[in-house]
Amino acid sequence: MHYPTTIGAMAVAALVSLNAAAAKAGEMQYPDIETQWRNPLSNGFGNPWDTTKPMGLGQEAPLTPEYQAIFEKSVKEQADGGQGNSLGLTCIHPGMPKVMNFSEPGEIMIRPHATYIVTQRYPVRRIYTDGRDFPADEAPTFTGYSIGKWLDEDGDGRYDVLEVETRNFKGPRVFESTGLPLHQDNQTIVKERIFLDKSDPNTLHDIVTTIDHALTRPWTVDRIYKRVREPKWREKTCHGANLHLAIGSEQYFLSADEKLMPVKAGQQPPDLRYFKQSNK
Amino acid sequence: MRYRKCIGAVAAAMLTVFAAPAIAVDMKYPDFESQWRIPDGVKGDPWDPARPAGLGQQAPLIPEYQAIFEKSVKDQAAGGRGNNYAGRCMLDGMPRMMSLTGPMEVLFQRAYTVLIFQNAFARRIYTDGRDWPVDEEGTFDGYSIGKWVDEDGDGRYEVLEVETRQFNGPRALESSGLPLHKDNQTIIKERIFLDNDNKDVLHDQITIIDNAFTHPWTVDKTYVRERKPTWSEYLCQVPPDRVYIGQDEYSVSPDGKLMPTHENQPPPDLRYFQQPRK
Repeated sequence: MHYPTTIGAMAVAALVSLNAAAAKAGEMQYPDIETQWRNPLSNGFGNPWDTTKPMGLGQEAPLTPEYQAIFEKSVKEQADGGQGNSLGLTCIHPGMPKVMNFSEPGEIMIRPHATYIVTQRYPVRRIYTDGRDFPADEAPTFTGYSIGKWLDEDGDGRYDVLEVETRNFKGPRVFESTGLPLHQDNQTIVKERIFLDKSDPNTLHDIVTTIDHALTRPWTVDRIYKRVREPKWREKTCHGANLHLAIGSEQYFLSADEKLMPVKAGQQPPDLRYFKQSNK
Repeated sequence: MRYRKCIGAVAAAMLTVFAAPAIAVDMKYPDFESQWRIPDGVKGDPWDPARPAGLGQQAPLIPEYQAIFEKSVKDQAAGGRGNNYAGRCMLDGMPRMMSLTGPMEVLFQRAYTVLIFQNAFARRIYTDGRDWPVDEEGTFDGYSIGKWVDEDGDGRYEVLEVETRQFNGPRALESSGLPLHKDNQTIIKERIFLDNDNKDVLHDQITIIDNAFTHPWTVDKTYVRERKPTWSEYLCQVPPDRVYIGQDEYSVSPDGKLMPTHENQPPPDLRYFQQPRK
């Protein structure tokens, strides 16, 4: 009789233990990041890539001399009323890593095979966590192809960190609206570590390291997002909010009454030679 | 032998215990979480997939909106865009986005179901029992409230019933310019469910109640499951040879100059420029 009793006791203990583990695995396997997140700096007054430094030349980006010159030219053009390297007015996809500046709020959704980053005005970003390799035949994109791996760094049985590597880009892409450039060869590699702040679970970090031929060394910044408990979503498109337009190589503004305006003093109006009649 | 049976029984019990949570998760909601595409062979973007796009839809439009629609069709035949606003990257909105010009993925979250489109922004259908918000602006996608229904009482949901209101516009149902009423008082009701005979087919039975119609208009959109999904990157771009100034569309010539899109189109108003072009 001893054996059945022992087996029974072991079985009960195992069931209790494994049940607890199963419940824990079900509830605690992934960190609590499935919510809306906002960039605390996205207040309309600029969105620096390295959030600890001012935008533009103040970033002190580790650019190669060639790309530092390209950047300085962009800054000068913008100071003169132009767009420089920033293609935001064309509503082109900002791509990685700029899309992680969360100029609008984003939501994270986790599934075993992928983590989704659903932003308000850009296509969803999928980070595949199913162990796949980088595809050999995928067309390059502005967002790139992201492969991630969940880590349990402190061994407590739940994941703490999502490590991500992103490759396979197309461009042009910049870090900031100042035109801080990435290399035109699009050989960028972006590595990320996404995790909750240890002392504040309402703060999410994305430590982003950019490896790019425009840079003299890998450039790491710590992007921070704040949890939104009662999220609201606005419908916003770049085109709907865009007051810039280009005709050929010339840039113009659209006025509040939807008429063409110059972007700089002394700018000539567009050439209307192809119209048969003047506007009355 | 008794001990072996005992161990076997314990093992079976353990398996049952561990299988149960997985089954419960699997059975609560239907197997929607997948990529869905429109079936092969659908030409264009007909709202009712059983009929050809355009006037062939035989939409139940009131005379005023039938005339607006016919004008759009005529304008498009002459090279214009009619009531189709997609070219200037305005959102298709509801219900046109459910015609799936690109694939769609469905994800269930605690408070809502998310439809992630390749060619549109995410649509959230709130299933947490909330009521219509009183302070939300109208949007092209509207505000969607859903309810999961277990119709056959087997303990798992089969149907997601959705109602969508609070719209912005203008919206059309097709690229042909089949219009919805400009008052944006549209109400859209949907029943989303898997086909009884083929679990790789998803139905979205959509009923539109709109003041442009003489009666509610119901169509059955069907989507097929893609087991090996691939995704393209899509973000609407106005073609480089097109410019929109206010409500007017212009072309851009190969030498970068503004051109009319149709005969006798006036040039844009240049009142904000201080000097004439030399």
